Amino acid sequence: MLVSDVHFPKDLTEALDILRKRPGTLVYAGGTDILREQASRGLELPAELIYVRDLPELRRAGLTERFLEIGAAVTLSEILELGEAALPPLLAEAIRGVASPTIRNLATIGGNLASRSRFMDSWPALACLDALIELRDQGGATWMNVNRLVGADGRPAFPEGALLTRVRVPIERWDAWLLRKVGLSDYPAPETAVFAFSARAEKGILVEVRIAFAGESALRSQALESSLIGRSLPLSPRESSSIASEYRGLASEFGDNLSLQFGALVDGALGLLSR
Amino acid sequence: MTISLILNGEDVSAKVRSVDRLADLLRDTFHLIGLRSDCRCGRCGRCLVFLDGRLVPSCIIPAFAARGKEVVTIEGYAQTEDYADVKAGFADAGVSTCGFCEESKIMAAGALLERRPRPTPREILEQMSSAPCRCTDPDAIVKAVLAASDRRARRLYRRAGQ
Repeated sequence: MLVSDVHFPKDLTEALDILRKRPGTLVYAGGTDILREQASRGLELPAELIYVRDLPELRRAGLTERFLEIGAAVTLSEILELGEAALPPLLAEAIRGVASPTIRNLATIGGNLASRSRFMDSWPALACLDALIELRDQGGATWMNVNRLVGADGRPAFPEGALLTRVRVPIERWDAWLLRKVGLSDYPAPETAVFAFSARAEKGILVEVRIAFAGESALRSQALESSLIGRSLPLSPRESSSIASEYRGLASEFGDNLSLQFGALVDGALGLLSR
Repeated sequence: MTISLILNGEDVSAKVRSVDRLADLLRDTFHLIGLRSDCRCGRCGRCLVFLDGRLVPSCIIPAFAARGKEVVTIEGYAQTEDYADVKAGFADAGVSTCGFCEESKIMAAGALLERRPRPTPREILEQMSSAPCRCTDPDAIVKAVLAASDRRARRLYRRAGQ
């Protein structure tokens, strides 16, 4: 049984210093993803970990005219408590779908995005909202679009050695949105995935469409989204089903069940634009 | 490492290792056996505690994460007026839960009423998913939590009038 060294930095500077001096140290906040499949009595954690849950710099959330900014150690419950006025409905719906309220009291937005085991529930919503994440190391800060957390193989690719510090969600008007969790479990499982859709129209023309689907891997097609932009609304049933069919084909790696459901959700989401 | 915390209102300290779960620390070191660490994945609700006022499953929290925090277990919560309101509310509604889930359901209901004094049925059922058990009909649970909400509101009203 490995007993780890646990570091309790008092601020972000000290945390970054520890991470620089001790590469490979596990960053630990809510821990729900790290511990969710550990059924043995003793926890199995790496030799060194750094507990960042209480770092004041990671615990802030605020709203400006242009974006909502959330510290990486803000819990999912605390995000929901920001309220409808601050929170994009697509993101609120995604967070409400995560496990149970008591798990959401522990799980943080940073952990939800930094998981390397699978894409967690917030990713598809944040991808559709074009959210940015701030990654910090001793060299400074880098802002990155959440869409870049997808590796070439479609699997999670959170950068090694980086500390996620903030999530920035642009505040934009959306005319239609849809979020659905697919599968039987509220908890992460191989057969579950999350579908997110957002769209905006001007003068009856589709000007922005974003569609993301993610579970153990993620799917977002800029080509198919671009092919929808500029089309007149409402889309014909034939147009919708043709796009849905293309998405279904792209999602074949998710397995027959999930890809079928994905196609149906695309069809249903595009149908929202006809209302 | 040695951590200090406030446990059911008292300052305490304990030696912990990174491998220790908070639930096991509370049971084994402090002999607070009202909670159990059954599922060890945070789903069954038998290990719920308030950690700095938030209801959380202590089986998926390392003991070191309680460092400097306030922890309230069912033993401490049972001494509060909030607990009494919920317990009485459940009785008012004629709801009798099983021995497996009763304390977790009371804590879950109390935590909800603290933040949402008059919750909707949907909010109640969502909150009660933190203490899942098939012993009680969901409609009855909604009725019981609303009865607890009435009890709590009356108590706070009386206190405000004093």
